[in-house]
Amino acid sequence: MTPYADVHFEIIGRVVVARLEGEIDMSNAGEVGAAITGRVTSDAVAVVLDLGAVEYLDSAGIHVVFELRERLSRRGQELRLVVPSGSPVATALHYAAVPRTVGAAETVKAAIADVED
Amino acid sequence: MATPDPQSLVTTPGRGQVVLGIGDQLTVDGSAGQLEHVYRLADPALSELALEPLLNELLTRAKDILRVDTAAILLLDDDAQELVARAAKGLEEEVERGVRIPVGSGFAGRIAAGRRPIYIADVDHADVLNPILRMKGVRSLLGVPLLVEGAILGVLHVGTVTPREFTNSDAALLQLAAAQAAPAIDRARLFDALDREHRNAVALQRSLLPERLPDLVGIDAAVRYLPARDEVGGDWYDVIDLPGGLVGLAIGDVAGHGLRAAALMGQLRTGLRAYALEGHPPGETLKRLDRMLQTISGRGMATAAYAVVDPVTGTLHYASAGHPPPVLVRGGGREASLLDVSSAPPLGTLPFAAYREVEATLQAGDTILLYTDGLIERRREPLTNGLERLRALAAVPATADQLCQLVTERLVPAEGGEDDIAVVALRIAPIEAAMRVRLAADPQVLSQMRRMLGRWLQAQGARPSEVADITLACGEACANAIEHAYGPGAAYFELETVHEEGLVTVTVRDTGRWRSPRGGHRGRGLKMIAAAVDELDLHTTDAGTEVVIRHRLGPR
Repeated sequence: MTPYADVHFEIIGRVVVARLEGEIDMSNAGEVGAAITGRVTSDAVAVVLDLGAVEYLDSAGIHVVFELRERLSRRGQELRLVVPSGSPVATALHYAAVPRTVGAAETVKAAIADVED
Repeated sequence: MATPDPQSLVTTPGRGQVVLGIGDQLTVDGSAGQLEHVYRLADPALSELALEPLLNELLTRAKDILRVDTAAILLLDDDAQELVARAAKGLEEEVERGVRIPVGSGFAGRIAAGRRPIYIADVDHADVLNPILRMKGVRSLLGVPLLVEGAILGVLHVGTVTPREFTNSDAALLQLAAAQAAPAIDRARLFDALDREHRNAVALQRSLLPERLPDLVGIDAAVRYLPARDEVGGDWYDVIDLPGGLVGLAIGDVAGHGLRAAALMGQLRTGLRAYALEGHPPGETLKRLDRMLQTISGRGMATAAYAVVDPVTGTLHYASAGHPPPVLVRGGGREASLLDVSSAPPLGTLPFAAYREVEATLQAGDTILLYTDGLIERRREPLTNGLERLRALAAVPATADQLCQLVTERLVPAEGGEDDIAVVALRIAPIEAAMRVRLAADPQVLSQMRRMLGRWLQAQGARPSEVADITLACGEACANAIEHAYGPGAAYFELETVHEEGLVTVTVRDTGRWRSPRGGHRGRGLKMIAAAVDELDLHTTDAGTEVVIRHRLGPR
């Protein structure tokens, strides 16, 4: 999608799973956010954003996560993050207090289960 | 001076104009003076002169011999069917250029149209279009056509300010001068046309090569392109900023010369770049380029080589299509070797050719040099001599630019080679305890910055988590510097890293003002820096902003 990042989608039930990979910084964060927003249909109940394969994520990328959460919540949709412990961006997300404020699951399966609860 | 012979003066076109030499040959009398004049105008030494001095000398001699006040040459502009003043001696000297006379009109125009000498006794009573002749008070005129193989090239005419009756003999002398000038003008025009074509082709060739190299972090790259002395060639080079921080290096040489070779070069360079940007490795890139070339009608043949270099790991993948092997300079210039490349046919020669890849590793400070055969080829000498000469020469401590300069200076004659020459050098920037780079204020540099910083931190002994933390902090500081860069034109910021006894200091300087956190991600960025590293200092002055990050390496 961009030289440094890509995003793959999968629809599981009424959940859109977006699996990000590569490096996300101010050069491509906007595009990544737009790509995800563009794939979320109105009948989806939640988006699971899998950050496990992301190698780098800076504050511009984290900003996109917060923006996405806000946009989804206005439509009554939820955002769930997947950040396996030890994954490359876990520390950066921790510095920005993302797991504490947004929440993060270890696996996509756990995140989907969380939605359905 | 002979007296006029009224019998041979036949009146014809144009009021007051007399056409000379109708019905009989123009001849000079046999007097000693005339023979001397003939010799001076037909002087074989004149033909050795270049066009400009020849015309000047002829006009000077004609003016002198015919005892006239002005002598001028007008050349035919074929497209416009007009005569254009080209050179003059005497009265018209300051108006050599600009006057245009339509063929068929006026004095000079009628000479050109009729291809006959014309004599005007009195300008006041004749059709003379050239305003300068009237202005300067020219009274009598004699003009002859400049002919080559029956084709009209222009007109040579002389004039006097006192009334003068020109004779057939005068006209014959002037025709001698014209006969000297015409072939020289013809030759010069041909050369002009060839020269123009050559210059156009060289300009086209240049326009097909990259205008500037990409800004690459951690990479020192340089190129040279030297056109051939006489002909336009089909050599090309390219330095490609590939996805994922990799760098592509391409070089190629289209067989043949001239516009066709240059045009094919442009297609191949574009094709290779497109396949390279899709992320294909070197062998596959050349394979696709070969298939592309096979589909171009009237296709040619080309040698090419393509290398992909990872500036962080130093890994080099290389494939060649009949191209001479690159030189690797290692150990700070202590040794240079030719990369052992597998032989493969040039592009466009064999159906379904395959191009095998070879791999090598470059250390920091090592250089790879690609070139086209013009650099190493000498007449009557085996190619291996040229290869060895280049290899030995390249074994010096040098930056990429210095190496390009050295090999082209020492191996290419100053007036240019017989073949055009392209040279590309890429050096993995050496790692030192301190590093200072200037980066374009463009988000696209961030990825490269991270790779370069990661490589530097690893070399300083930083553990992976330390590399990640410092890189994250530095990335936020750089992103901020990039956001500071407003306005038109290229803007830059500076990154400096220093390692002293376990303490790493990273400084990011820009010329803008730090934007105070407004709760958005910029404020979050500052918090992330503070969380990731030991110390963060922010200095804002009128000159700009400086972010200083300090982090102590090692277990805590």
